[in-house]
Amino acid sequence: MKNSKDSLVPILTPVCIILTAMLLASGLILAIGVNPLTAYGQMLKGALGSLNNLINSLNKAVPICFAAFAVAVSTWAGIFNIGVEGQLVFGAFGSAIAGAYLEGLPPTLHVTLSLLAGMLFGMLFALLPTVLYVARDLNLLVVFILMNSIAKLLITFFIVGPFAVPGQMYAATKEIQKSARLPYLVTNPNKLTAGILIVIVVGLLLWFYVGKTTSGYRLRACGENAEAARYAGIRVKRYQAGALLAGGALAGLAGGIEVLGTYHRLFDGFSPGYGFDGIPIAMLASGNPFGIMVGSFLFGALRVGSTTMQSKAGVSSEIVTFIQGVLVTLIAAQYIIQFTIKKLAEHKPEKGGAKQ
Amino acid sequence: METAVNMKGITMRFPAVVANDNVDFEVKRGEVHALVGENGAGKSTLMNILYGLYVPTEGTIEIWGKPRHFSSAIDAIHAGIGMVHQHFMLIPQLTVADNIVLGEEPRSKMSYLRGQAVEIVEQLCLEYEMTLKPKEIVSKISLGMQQRVEIMKALYRKADIIILDEPTAVLTPQEIDELGRMLKKLKTMGKTIIIITHKMQEVIDFSDRVTVLRRGKIVGTVNTEETTAAEITQMMVGRNVSLGGHKEPVETTGAALEVQHVSYHDGRVKKLKDISFLIRRGEIFGIAGIDNSGQKELSEAIAGVIHPDEGCILLGEQDITKKHTEAIKHMGVGFVPEDRQKSGLALGMSISENLILGYEGTDRFRKNRILIDKNEVLKAAREKIERFDIRPPQVGAIVKTLSGGNQQKVIVAREISHSDSLIIANQPSRGVDIGAIELIHKTLVDARNSGKAVLLISLELDEVMMLSDRIGVMYDGRLMDVLDASKATREQIGLLMAGGMIHEEQ
Amino acid sequence: MSQSMFITVFVSIIRLSVPIILTALGNMYCLQAGIMNLGADGMMISGAFGAAVTAYFTGNPWLGVCVGIICGMLIGAIHSLISVEFGGMQNISGLGLNMMAAGLTSFFCRSTFKTGLSPNVASVQNMPWLAGIPLLGPILTQFSPILLILIIVFAISCYIMGRSVAGLRIVAVGSDPQTVETAGINVWKLKHICVITCGALAGLAGAYLSVGQLNFFMENMTMGKGMLAVIAVTVGRRRPVRTVIVALFFGIFDALQLQIQIIGTSGIAPELIQAIPYLAAILAMTFDFGKKLDDVNMNPYLKNQYKF
Repeated sequence: MKNSKDSLVPILTPVCIILTAMLLASGLILAIGVNPLTAYGQMLKGALGSLNNLINSLNKAVPICFAAFAVAVSTWAGIFNIGVEGQLVFGAFGSAIAGAYLEGLPPTLHVTLSLLAGMLFGMLFALLPTVLYVARDLNLLVVFILMNSIAKLLITFFIVGPFAVPGQMYAATKEIQKSARLPYLVTNPNKLTAGILIVIVVGLLLWFYVGKTTSGYRLRACGENAEAARYAGIRVKRYQAGALLAGGALAGLAGGIEVLGTYHRLFDGFSPGYGFDGIPIAMLASGNPFGIMVGSFLFGALRVGSTTMQSKAGVSSEIVTFIQGVLVTLIAAQYIIQFTIKKLAEHKPEKGGAKQ
Repeated sequence: METAVNMKGITMRFPAVVANDNVDFEVKRGEVHALVGENGAGKSTLMNILYGLYVPTEGTIEIWGKPRHFSSAIDAIHAGIGMVHQHFMLIPQLTVADNIVLGEEPRSKMSYLRGQAVEIVEQLCLEYEMTLKPKEIVSKISLGMQQRVEIMKALYRKADIIILDEPTAVLTPQEIDELGRMLKKLKTMGKTIIIITHKMQEVIDFSDRVTVLRRGKIVGTVNTEETTAAEITQMMVGRNVSLGGHKEPVETTGAALEVQHVSYHDGRVKKLKDISFLIRRGEIFGIAGIDNSGQKELSEAIAGVIHPDEGCILLGEQDITKKHTEAIKHMGVGFVPEDRQKSGLALGMSISENLILGYEGTDRFRKNRILIDKNEVLKAAREKIERFDIRPPQVGAIVKTLSGGNQQKVIVAREISHSDSLIIANQPSRGVDIGAIELIHKTLVDARNSGKAVLLISLELDEVMMLSDRIGVMYDGRLMDVLDASKATREQIGLLMAGGMIHEEQ
Repeated sequence: MSQSMFITVFVSIIRLSVPIILTALGNMYCLQAGIMNLGADGMMISGAFGAAVTAYFTGNPWLGVCVGIICGMLIGAIHSLISVEFGGMQNISGLGLNMMAAGLTSFFCRSTFKTGLSPNVASVQNMPWLAGIPLLGPILTQFSPILLILIIVFAISCYIMGRSVAGLRIVAVGSDPQTVETAGINVWKLKHICVITCGALAGLAGAYLSVGQLNFFMENMTMGKGMLAVIAVTVGRRRPVRTVIVALFFGIFDALQLQIQIIGTSGIAPELIQAIPYLAAILAMTFDFGKKLDDVNMNPYLKNQYKF
């Protein structure tokens, strides 16, 4: 009996955490005088109410998923990667440039190169923190947060300066060539980008890597106990650096997909916050690639639905940031929540018996 | 009131284990009472309950005949109980005086009266005839002096009942004698003393009465005069125990390991100073010495975790001085590290995954260049679980849930199976139950008998003397001397452990 | 530089350093007690919003400051509950609180004021009553009275950490909570007090931002100052004087970038100049050689665990 209860805990805990977050969010909604049920109703409609909306949610889920993969890879190595947002932004920039300024290429090649450019730029942005960590053992968390701030400033500089487009009314990079646009899988009733295919492939690759390969085992050992891995002969710093750079590449890929698939250019102030969605998703899913894909879809739906909630129910979409924050904060207390759930589960068969 | 402490029906349940099961424990006024049992028997837990750090699930406590309820340490302190823990409770960056008065600082409203603290300590030193330097920073004083600071803490808080948990674990033989003298002095001053120990010699030397615990339950209480070490051990374990394996005469052929003039700096501190020795095939070379004499660094240097600044290390004919751990492991060197939880295991992973840690790259466990052969891994895990009696015998059990002894068996199983020429074992029986110690000793001696070389590092002098063929003594990063185990005496080793000096204090 | 420009820069440095120094002093207690606080920005932004909104609706900036402090303390209390009481993951708790506070304040700002920027509110940006002082008068009036509070807090902090029993115990509990527990001191109560004090000071810093330095609330107005404060504490080795010096150092870069933008030096884009404080922080961390002041134990310390 206890065994089956134990295996439920990994699923019950995230569910409890998500429910608590939604409950607290309802508190906020009530505070501004809106009926939470109406608000959530609008959100659900906006996210999943029609095939059109569903496709929107799926599209949004794709870059979120890559960002979550980026966090997950770092977590396997035992590092908390808060820098995904900055790497994502910089990667988006890379894809925007490659998409706009490379000319005369066939579409498949152009798209591939642009995405690779995004991954490269994302990786480059992760390079400085990685080097500082490997060489001087700097606190990565703090450096990443600083880099996130720098990323936004850097992008603004590029957009307003060297990469400015004369005559353009809004602040953004030059629009990408038609050949660089991410192809669509489905166009009716709404456009579903090919990004979803890439996500599934990458997800499978990651699952295979971490579960079945020698290298994946070593990476996990680094995350489980870096000191023991070191004593075992595993080159910990190398694996961690690899994980950080791979995370940068995945984050850059997320940014690139947003540019090539949705916006077709990089707007000033682009910082969608997917890097911060990725953290609770990766942690609630315990790093499992399939769990991450499910979680990303939920978040995609949340984001799409929140714009509807804002226009139809008058609830600011900033509530999504709040929900992100609550999720992450509750995850920090995860073990207590797990403990409480286990305790409650144990209590049930003893009802009517002696006091614990 | 003749009874200082009366604990009745004490039961302590933790989520994973029942540490104390209906224990009755009684201590008379002015006696030195030894509490013994093997690792994991529940002795420390019982005393931590007496000191208020744990609240027992069931049971009552009476101090000097009055029922008491301790919800935290301060209650026990107010009842006149003091405790010196096995791992010293000191703040390294503060002074001796600061550490002694912490919790009951001499103060004027919010200000801390440092000067007064120093005076108080000097006064107490005179009263109890102890030598301490109140203004010295704790991280700079010897372990023996640190222990005196710990005892002084209890005396400062006016403890009448003093508990000492494994007080001799980190002392040289001479320091142990000094401790014995101090205990006698405290006894003449009317203090009641409880010593937790698992060393028979100390029980016989120091105590008036002995209480034995086994697996959380009381076995019995006897007068020390009326019993023998063998009888107490029998009570502790419940059966006859043969530690030390069974050594057979072996042809010790050729040098398996040669260490030549090795030196090593850690930051600004020189941890290894010109160390030279060799270990032959078919020999157990034991290293004795007080903690932090460089043993850890020596084992790490041989295993390739760190690299010496000077000198060289030869494995057989090969120079492994600059080689990385991965390469050295592939050459057949097994390494059981000092701190199993910190350096030897990934606690969140399963037994089978831990059994390949460090060896995941060997041909046996690989299916091809990138994949792990899961079936082989599981098969090998099952073999080892059976051979070493690892409990629970499930390949998928998460190592965090295993007992200390079983965790250690996982590491020993892993390292022994993959070792060829040399096994390094650093504190292999620390915190491990007797059954597991028996197995580990047997494993090491069997390895020796089959022609492997064993480097055994241990703080337990008895273990070193029992298992080794030759004994090297380390002090302050130097190898003081190498002795023949069959001829060496405790006193000789003790002198070398303290740096070859006769007086204990520098 | 002319004398008036020098004075302008000097005033600017002090004004911009106040929030960093206040938050850094708060974080000093927190880190010294062994709790990492990445949620400093969250504490600050809550303080900023609480103060601005209160000042808006009541017209009383000092009431706003009080509310700001309380808001900071609330965030600190949540962090303390998770990190100290439950022994949860401190880094994640701090970051989560940052996100939560950012979302909360933006949400209510937009809901109340329709945009991410509040209208002007009552503030305490000056000290006109100092105008009478010869020579220094005109300079001193440019500072908010909260600067005076800062100086008092600094003086008290030097005393606490250097000479008081509380300071001794905080150092002890950060070094080894086990030792402190066996000495009969309540480890958790001590840590709670330190974290909530941090929240109060960071909340005060935030209130200063919205009603002391400026007179409005803007989304994300802390701009990573909380993180700079944490770095200041680490580089300053958790000692009051050193921490303040490093915080001032960051303040100098902040003032510098503002000044350069105002003057409008040619060539360098404003965004790159705005990045200077962050780069300075990274440089400070990279070139932070020298003895690390005795390791503080940041592991969660749980109650009644099988730990002795």
